[in-house]
Amino acid sequence: MSDAVAVEALSLTLGAFRLKKIDFALARGEILIILGPNGSGKSVTLETIAGFHRPDAGRIVVAGRDVTALPPERRKIGFVVQNFGLFPHLSVAQNVAIGERGHHAGRVHNKDLLSYFGIDHLANRAPADLSAGEKQRVALARALASAPDLFMFDEPFSALDAETRTQLRAELKTFLRALAIPAIFVTHDHDEAMALGDTVIVLRDGGVMQRGSVAEIFNKPSNSFVARFVGVENILPARVVARLSNLLTCAVDRQIVYATPPAGVLPEGAAKLAIRAEHITVSPVPAALGAARTRNTLECRVKALRVLGPLATVEVECGFLLKAYLLSPQVQAMGLAEGNLVEVQIPPDAIHVMAE
Amino acid sequence: MTISVETTRGGYAERSRWTSAAPSRPGALYLLCWFCGSVLLAFLVIPLVALATHQSGQDLVEAAGMADVRSAIALSIEGAFLSAALAALAGVPLAYVLARTAFPGKGLIAALIDLPLAVPHTVAGIALFLVFGRQGVLGEPLQALVGLKFWGTVAGIVVAMLFVSAPYTVNAARIGFEAVDPRLEKIARTLGLGPWRTFLRITLPLAWRSIMTGVTLTFARSISEFGAVVILVYYPMTAPVMIYELFLRFGLEQAAAAAVLLLIVSLALFVLLRTLAQRGAPATGGR
Repeated sequence: MSDAVAVEALSLTLGAFRLKKIDFALARGEILIILGPNGSGKSVTLETIAGFHRPDAGRIVVAGRDVTALPPERRKIGFVVQNFGLFPHLSVAQNVAIGERGHHAGRVHNKDLLSYFGIDHLANRAPADLSAGEKQRVALARALASAPDLFMFDEPFSALDAETRTQLRAELKTFLRALAIPAIFVTHDHDEAMALGDTVIVLRDGGVMQRGSVAEIFNKPSNSFVARFVGVENILPARVVARLSNLLTCAVDRQIVYATPPAGVLPEGAAKLAIRAEHITVSPVPAALGAARTRNTLECRVKALRVLGPLATVEVECGFLLKAYLLSPQVQAMGLAEGNLVEVQIPPDAIHVMAE
Repeated sequence: MTISVETTRGGYAERSRWTSAAPSRPGALYLLCWFCGSVLLAFLVIPLVALATHQSGQDLVEAAGMADVRSAIALSIEGAFLSAALAALAGVPLAYVLARTAFPGKGLIAALIDLPLAVPHTVAGIALFLVFGRQGVLGEPLQALVGLKFWGTVAGIVVAMLFVSAPYTVNAARIGFEAVDPRLEKIARTLGLGPWRTFLRITLPLAWRSIMTGVTLTFARSISEFGAVVILVYYPMTAPVMIYELFLRFGLEQAAAAAVLLLIVSLALFVLLRTLAQRGAPATGGR
């Protein structure tokens, strides 16, 4: 009951597209990411919550109010879109003032908002003359002026260059943390999701594939679609050949690897393994002589080596192909080259076993 | 940075952005285009200059001194203003639903709106005569019920002008509304503005220039209309009808003086209206 926002079994038919029983909740100040490819229903979900589509079934509760039947203007939800959607014919101050709630709020409130976001000196500027960062601040101030109980962001950064995006993302997170207003942020970029989110839901074809904390989604994807979408570099077809309560024995081609069993039902038979490249250790052969060989220590040959600035990606052949990262200086120190033999270690708890 | 296409801005900053961006100039292509264009420009300007220079100032003063010429020009202006106002009043809402909603038969309606542009204006006049004339399907009952007559009155002149010029307002306003990013309207709604306030404070101001361009064209087309007016309402005479009659009765010289006078007045009004239209929306401050 302490949820600040609850979306319950939200269903919607829109032409050929359907939202299928979307369920999630946000605590006060929580940032939820809706992650999914184009056409998965991310924007439609936001627009339904904002009140632009009438759901077939389900409930939307914001700050204890059931808003499902209310028009958008009475839901108290701040909406920020791509390029921030400032009104081009109004000055910064007019943009912020347009949605001010309550006739008592008046200009003082407006001024406070402008100075809170450090944009008071821009009050009389036109939106066309603002930088992306300034636009974001105006958009936030404008949304805040209407006293929202929930913020929603529909890929606001997708038209920006990478550097600006990273910068604005950090700034947005700082503001959202300080304001402690729950926020839903839609994106198809898993880096953005990881940097901004507390929790993530992954959407596909209008249905929720997985819901969990950022760490869960990125390290324990529920299936290979989610794994691919959150950027897991190694997704390997495997067979579970033996199951112990604390260890699964899996065969990848002819190679045997050991994995920590996932929570819940133990997979058996055909499965997929998800291994993030950053969890794989690559070292020269032979490793320190006499060192205890831990589980999943494989001798592999380097098939491809690409140095990309500070980071290098290595593709190794261990009976199956595996992608790993090294720091560029390590590559030099090891004198690594394509064709070399290396030793690869994968901690069992870095191998995530998925049913499909 | 590459060319930035900012779709969130409606039609606003986009225009200046596109025209100010001058990429590499393909010289020969531009030169040829300018050459062809100049021929057309000359063709448009030379007859008007010839007309204007044909008259001595004295002829003009004389023509301006004739009461019936003055009243004909005043009548033309009055009719054109009323026609433009009616086109805006009825055409802008129509343009809005055409721009924002999808419904069966929308293509047909769009085609119907363009129809008057394809109909010869004398044909339009005859059709209007059948409807608004003394025995017309609307003319007769309207006179009987509310005493509104379309023969020999300004009302008839306005009807004829409106029929041939309304499409300009509807089409320009529709383009203007379509250029307003629907997401801006959605944001306004989430900020607490109802559908009416969203329309008045966001959509209408952003489409304002297009609408005014359309209304100006409607006005210009109305003031210049001859064919439909002359069939529906010969008397009282609008300026084009008067010039036609002067030409038939007294010949070129008399007609030309009145023609130049009308040219000056309508050009001045056209330039004035265009300038006002380009100014953008009326002040939108406050709440």
